[in-house]
Amino acid sequence: MAKPAVILVGADKGGVGKTTVSRALLDYFIAHNIPTRAFDTEAPKGTLKRFHPDVTEVVDITSTPDQMKIFDTLSSADAKVTVIDIRAGLLSTTLRALRDIGFLDAAKKAQLTFTVFHILGPSIASLSEIDETAGFMDDAHYILVKNFINNTTFFDWDPATYNTYFNKIKDAHEITIPKLNEMACEQVELASVPYVSFVANKAGDGESANYSFVLRGYVRHWLGNVWAEFDRVKLIDMVAPEIQRKGAARQA
Amino acid sequence: MQRRTPVFIITSSRPRVGKTLVARALTEYFSGQSRPVAAFDVNPGEFKLIDHLPAYTAAASIGDTRGEMALFDQLVTEDEVPKVVDLGHMMFERFFAVMQAIDFMAEARRRAVAPMVLYLADPDERARQGYAMVNNRFPDLPLVPVFNESIPQFMRYHANFPPTRRGGGAIRIPALTPVIRSVVDRPHFSFVSYASKTTDTTSELYQWMGRVFFAFRELEVRLLLGEIAPQLRHSA
Repeated sequence: MAKPAVILVGADKGGVGKTTVSRALLDYFIAHNIPTRAFDTEAPKGTLKRFHPDVTEVVDITSTPDQMKIFDTLSSADAKVTVIDIRAGLLSTTLRALRDIGFLDAAKKAQLTFTVFHILGPSIASLSEIDETAGFMDDAHYILVKNFINNTTFFDWDPATYNTYFNKIKDAHEITIPKLNEMACEQVELASVPYVSFVANKAGDGESANYSFVLRGYVRHWLGNVWAEFDRVKLIDMVAPEIQRKGAARQA
Repeated sequence: MQRRTPVFIITSSRPRVGKTLVARALTEYFSGQSRPVAAFDVNPGEFKLIDHLPAYTAAASIGDTRGEMALFDQLVTEDEVPKVVDLGHMMFERFFAVMQAIDFMAEARRRAVAPMVLYLADPDERARQGYAMVNNRFPDLPLVPVFNESIPQFMRYHANFPPTRRGGGAIRIPALTPVIRSVVDRPHFSFVSYASKTTDTTSELYQWMGRVFFAFRELEVRLLLGEIAPQLRHSA
């Protein structure tokens, strides 16, 4: 039986693009026919849920009943991949909670797969976050994300200092989310649909929409680059190796 | 069967090589057959095509995303109306960068839009580089070299503009004598209007139009062959 996989997307700083990455991840897994569910911890209204309402539930990650709703159902849920979009400031808290409920031990015993997408902001404070997070990452796949979607420049960072932090975590990967044309970004927000729906010119109800071809082109190009980054770190192999093997067998 | 919508992009990375003259003639080639045609003048700050053919031409700018949307959203419309784009050298790099970023070719294939680039050749090294750039970056885009015989010694540099797999060999635009050229360059001069009024089919300009329009007809045939070739391969 396939092992459940949990992907945490978080940062302690706000406005660094966590939900953007979560949305791109959901699109990626759905495009690869990997059953996926998501939890949006921006309770009560949620942000991720606005774009992926069918697979997303809004939860309060700090409440025990909601923690049960997520982690007690990992094996029984139809979806084998669970993406959790952690609200700003709660990454460290969530990791501590996961340790306390024995989740990290389960990852250590290879009963489940645990992956953390840590979204970095431009300030030096992001490097301190890596330091704080490192202690929980012994048995997790750790992916540091430099998110340029908002035209961020990582101006504060001295490469040597960054590498000092980066190397603290064994098998850490780094991916880059490129900048998306501002007007395209804005139009997808207004449309409140997944990126793939926007590219396919579909509205939220599945009906044909009338989005600009130019803006759809920018989104398609950008999403292709983001997915190429996921491919580069072999994300599917990390979270759903049995699907990767099936795909390889089919190709053979 | 639905016909594909042709989009002719007349360009060069160099100024003053005859792009607007070709764009004017091509636009009038369609209008002279009473076919609908839409032309776009992408020469920021120095609109030219629109000065000659205001009834058929829209000024276009690709300096920002709104301008890109206004132009490319129309170029990809599958309405069977031929499009003619007079793309100035200042916007050459930008236009093809956007075209690549939005994956124009993929959408064109999906929508039965058939783009073709007519590239005005000249001896400058930058012209060779521009041609090579378009050919390398868009291997599926029909690219046709255009030799304007008004540019001296064009045979010396024709090797810089080899035929392409999708576009085929070069076409030639005959030189016009300075006097005729000055007439043609007058505002509101119309090739079609001239042809309908003249009784002298041996005149230089009439002969020039005959050769140029014949070359345009050949380009249409190339696009048509590109359209049916996959079907022929499929049925073989």
